[in-house]
Amino acid sequence: MGGVALRAEQQVDATPSVVYDLFGAGTGAGWVFDAVCDRVEPGASVSIRAPLGGPDPSPVELLGRLSRVRRPHLLEIRHEQPWRGHVRLHLDRAGTGTRVRLVAELDERGVAWLLRRHGHPVRDAVPAGSHRVGLLTTKSGPGGVFAVAAENAAELAREEIDGEGGVLGRPLHLAVGDDATDPATGVSEARRLVRAGCRTILVSTTSATFVAVSAALAGTGVLLVHTLMNEGGIDGPLRVQLGERPTDQLATATGPMMARTGGRRWFLAGNDYLWPHRCHAAAREVIPAAGGLLVGERFAPIGTRDFSPLVEAVAASGADLVLSTFVGADAVAFERQCHAMGLRDRTRTLSLAMDESTLAYVGSAAAAGISGVSGYFQDLPTSGNEDLVRRYRAAYGPWAPPLSTLSESVYEALRMYVAAVRHAGEDDPYSIAREMRTAQFELPRGTVTLDGTGAVAQRLYLADAAASTFRVSFPG
Amino acid sequence: MDTSQAFDALADPVRREILAVLADHEECSAGELSAHVSRVGRTAVSSHLRILRAAGLVTERRAGRFRYYAVDHSGAGQEVIRHLQGLFQSSLDAVRAAVEEPMSSARPDRSRAG
Repeated sequence: MGGVALRAEQQVDATPSVVYDLFGAGTGAGWVFDAVCDRVEPGASVSIRAPLGGPDPSPVELLGRLSRVRRPHLLEIRHEQPWRGHVRLHLDRAGTGTRVRLVAELDERGVAWLLRRHGHPVRDAVPAGSHRVGLLTTKSGPGGVFAVAAENAAELAREEIDGEGGVLGRPLHLAVGDDATDPATGVSEARRLVRAGCRTILVSTTSATFVAVSAALAGTGVLLVHTLMNEGGIDGPLRVQLGERPTDQLATATGPMMARTGGRRWFLAGNDYLWPHRCHAAAREVIPAAGGLLVGERFAPIGTRDFSPLVEAVAASGADLVLSTFVGADAVAFERQCHAMGLRDRTRTLSLAMDESTLAYVGSAAAAGISGVSGYFQDLPTSGNEDLVRRYRAAYGPWAPPLSTLSESVYEALRMYVAAVRHAGEDDPYSIAREMRTAQFELPRGTVTLDGTGAVAQRLYLADAAASTFRVSFPG
Repeated sequence: MDTSQAFDALADPVRREILAVLADHEECSAGELSAHVSRVGRTAVSSHLRILRAAGLVTERRAGRFRYYAVDHSGAGQEVIRHLQGLFQSSLDAVRAAVEEPMSSARPDRSRAG
């Protein structure tokens, strides 16, 4: 089945301009017009809370950008999550009012995602003779924000690999699963990928899902590669954890943050699961050693939308620096509320999981005063990265979501995996894992070295938010 | 067949299990299905299959005395497409309501259509 266009239409008793201005204004004009966006102009980030239903009643965010606007006649949204498509709104004068027409695209992947969301099993069409690799990512729930570009990044690597002759002479097939930011869903999706013939799964989700999947697939002979930043500590011959470690991020950022701001009173705030807890444990070592003081700590469950008590606690503590370990939509809501409640006048934030993708939804006003630290930023001026960004834009267009350390690492992980398969010369997960666990890779972000102990050595950069993206400041 | 019928059919864990078995096996007889779905008996499996067929989620093929069942992807696919179309329509209906009842736009809590 190919793509279909869904159409809806309504006659509204107001001029096109009045109807147009309802978009993004938050006035209760239905879930499409109640889209959240700071500006109604091309390139502005948009999230639409769609009441899609299914066993999980919470709304699903369609995440994307405005791709075309012509006031008062046209609004076009290009969304990437949970599937890729456009939603177009045409507003035309009809009599004394406006005829509103909506056209939404739904492709095969969108139908498959919706069927699974409603509990209907969908068999994966796997091309015969292909080398199958799974990608377990986050297409819905609070983590959907940081993973917007993950599938694009994997698809770009796959096309390049197939262009080079594939994997051991076979085309690479990528099977994609969505953990919905929920470990139990992640486990059932990982099992589905295994049933579809994947003996390696790249996992670009929170460590809550990675740890659950790792335990559930113990003894099944499946190689799991955690692509993005994590706390480490999952060992075994078939486990590879790439990405930044909290201690390295903090060692890079803590000193410069204090030197640049003159502040030393830190408040630690993050989501209540393993990775933020490990980050805070590392911070309790690194911050005092760098001359800082810890003045408070709070956690909030993932999916929290009202952070006002927490923001008040930060303000009351007299902190001048905030270490944020919130992820995805929680990081967006926390930063927007910090800004709205005036906390930016007194504090700066170091946000370990803040990437370009998440920052785009924070918006430029609330983004000012946030710093990030990671091994990759989209504006990293290495020739390998400039090439990658050019290829990514050529493949996905100007309104594709930004690359960031959380998505570019998926591109790199697939590259590293295929390099390891070619080096091993065979399709055995144990041999492939052995090649990956002790190796040095030249990647768009630079040199990454794995020494077989689970440690990942790479250069890290501190970056400051500017106009809703990050600008890298090289540490001295 | 209305939208809720398919989703009601999917709400039952035994029926979801039957669909999962079918998804992995292309086609199964009722007897083969009963062997895989251990938590209920053969009669119960048959009645669940009737509900899944009525909801357009499963097809039945008769060959002699045997009946074979398979997942009906086209039927379920049509369901989710119709469901989503209905959600988009209701979002535009809410635009009309917001314009025609200006008081409702003053509510701090946004209405959620659908």
